[in-house]
Amino acid sequence: MKQSLKAGSIALAAVAFVVACSSKPPATPPPAPTPAPVSTPTVVTVEPVATPTPRPTPKIDSESIAGRSISELSGMLKPAFFDYDKADVRGDARDVLAANATWLKKYTSVQFTIEGHTDERGTAQYNLALGDRRANAAKDYLVSLGVDASRVKTVSYGKERPFATGHDEDSWQKNRRANFVVTGK
Amino acid sequence: MREEKKISSKRIGRAGALLGVAALAWAVPLLGQAPKPATSPAAPSTANTPSGFPQASSIDLSITGSSSARRPLAIPMTVAPLLTDLQTKAVDPFYTTLSDDLAGSGVFVVADPALYPKGMRPPQNREEGDAWKATSAQFLLDTRLSQDGGNVSVEALLWDLGTLRFILSKKYTGESRAARRIAHTLASDLVRQFTGKPGPFLTKIAFSSDRDEPRVKEVYTMDFDGENQRRITSSRTLSLAPDWSPDGSKIVYQSYEKDTPGLWLIGKDGTDKRQIPVPTQLNASPSFSPDGKTIAFCGSVRGNTEIFTVQTDGSGLKRLTENAAIDSTPRWSPNGRELAFTSNRQGTPQIFMMDLEGANVRRVTLAGNWNDEAAFSPDGGRLAFACRNEGDFQICVMDLSSGRTVQISNGPGAHEAPTWSPDGSKIAWDVQRGSSTQIAVGNADGSGTARIVTSSGNNYSPSWVKTLE
Repeated sequence: MKQSLKAGSIALAAVAFVVACSSKPPATPPPAPTPAPVSTPTVVTVEPVATPTPRPTPKIDSESIAGRSISELSGMLKPAFFDYDKADVRGDARDVLAANATWLKKYTSVQFTIEGHTDERGTAQYNLALGDRRANAAKDYLVSLGVDASRVKTVSYGKERPFATGHDEDSWQKNRRANFVVTGK
Repeated sequence: MREEKKISSKRIGRAGALLGVAALAWAVPLLGQAPKPATSPAAPSTANTPSGFPQASSIDLSITGSSSARRPLAIPMTVAPLLTDLQTKAVDPFYTTLSDDLAGSGVFVVADPALYPKGMRPPQNREEGDAWKATSAQFLLDTRLSQDGGNVSVEALLWDLGTLRFILSKKYTGESRAARRIAHTLASDLVRQFTGKPGPFLTKIAFSSDRDEPRVKEVYTMDFDGENQRRITSSRTLSLAPDWSPDGSKIVYQSYEKDTPGLWLIGKDGTDKRQIPVPTQLNASPSFSPDGKTIAFCGSVRGNTEIFTVQTDGSGLKRLTENAAIDSTPRWSPNGRELAFTSNRQGTPQIFMMDLEGANVRRVTLAGNWNDEAAFSPDGGRLAFACRNEGDFQICVMDLSSGRTVQISNGPGAHEAPTWSPDGSKIAWDVQRGSSTQIAVGNADGSGTARIVTSSGNNYSPSWVKTLE
């Protein structure tokens, strides 16, 4: 509860920041956002940020994948969350992706798909493009950490398959994610 | 002067008919306001306009270039033999459809039926004519329906109440279940009488619906008023963003059938489905060129979405944009020489245009913090799009020569994905209110009240057929 409150307030700060930015467009066009994984996050990260759906951290050193189902393995890989209308890998997402990369480099036979998702705001077609960027931003970050690009596929679902169906920032943040699905081991 | 038409019945599924009734009943509460009496023009709304664009009113017709005022028309109840079965099967659907079509035509204002004098059909003398004119009507549409076995015949006379002469006489025959279709045909003929081109009442809209199973969207078609809804894909996955071919014979759409989203073509009746092979990812927002040979779409290469064109057989793939920003949602101009698309290359998503070489790129929308999903009017003179400044998306229409923009939708909810009727008089879009997304149809000039025409599941991304039948 405490964690989710904290996450909520940070998410609110993120929204406030985005709104403040977008309501005053700069006189000169800002540089287009790039999916570069090392770009600075737009949110000032105060603490190690809790993700809205905390899961127990995978015990990556003691697990064997042989006896585990595909869906169990998917659960080992945590989602990376994004800011509104952004595909930059932010601070908390880097930590998540680094943990995922460590696990993936240990179990090199695992094949997986990264799904890009968005919240319901914005048009369906634009959100498909945004989801595509998020999935690829997460992929690029993993590859930069040494994960073999041939193991990963990306797919965008835009706002078509939300994880949370509420119409508030709490749900929206849950839906702005790169989600991991293991497809083979 | 007198014309006769035989109307062939198209099979009206029972489910489709029931859905249509439900949609009508639902329209009023969902829109949050009762339809205004047709005789009093809607007052210009002074309510907040979330798009930041001025709100269209029924008085504002300049944007359409329509110079003539709407003709006040009385439509008394159809005269028919008093048979219960005939009444439910033919007379009621006929009269309701006819009245709805003409009231929403933008050509007529339907005088309030509560004011109609009894009898006096047709008006026999000046006094009777004046009694009709007291309802504000200048014209009277007199319809008579008769039964002949399984068929019905409709005779229609349009009276000029000034001269007390009829100026149009039509007779239609068809199966009794084709009564709605007869009404659409008559309404279309009446519009043609005054504007020189038929109304859009016999046209269809394709859309995407999640009504069948969770996590699945299939492509459907329906009559423009929500009747005859039919599923045409069986993908059991996401099938999105349909767009009609120019001749109305097939539909291009995006589907996740092979896990990764691709471009697909399907016949309007659900036959001849095939994939358009492309090497790109995402493959969203397909748009048919006006000659039907080329598809523009949003493809992704290494996480960057660009606008591409490809022949319908997958040959001739061409990239038109080369920009690190998001480029999405291409829509072809009716002359086939330009594409509108959305890009956030200057910050927020805005609508741009370019030629087919990707050159001569220019920004079209200058106001608002998010403008997206452009759709050219059939004559190419106007652009409809989803517009947002603060709050929710609304539907805006821009006159491309002057840049003048008006908001044609209103009320709460996110209004997205506009598409034009082939005569340019109407626009359909999808509107999300709470957890329900449905398809609305309104007049392109913003007059009148938009009508919700779907109700089963959630319904998205309407594409209006591009030819008048």
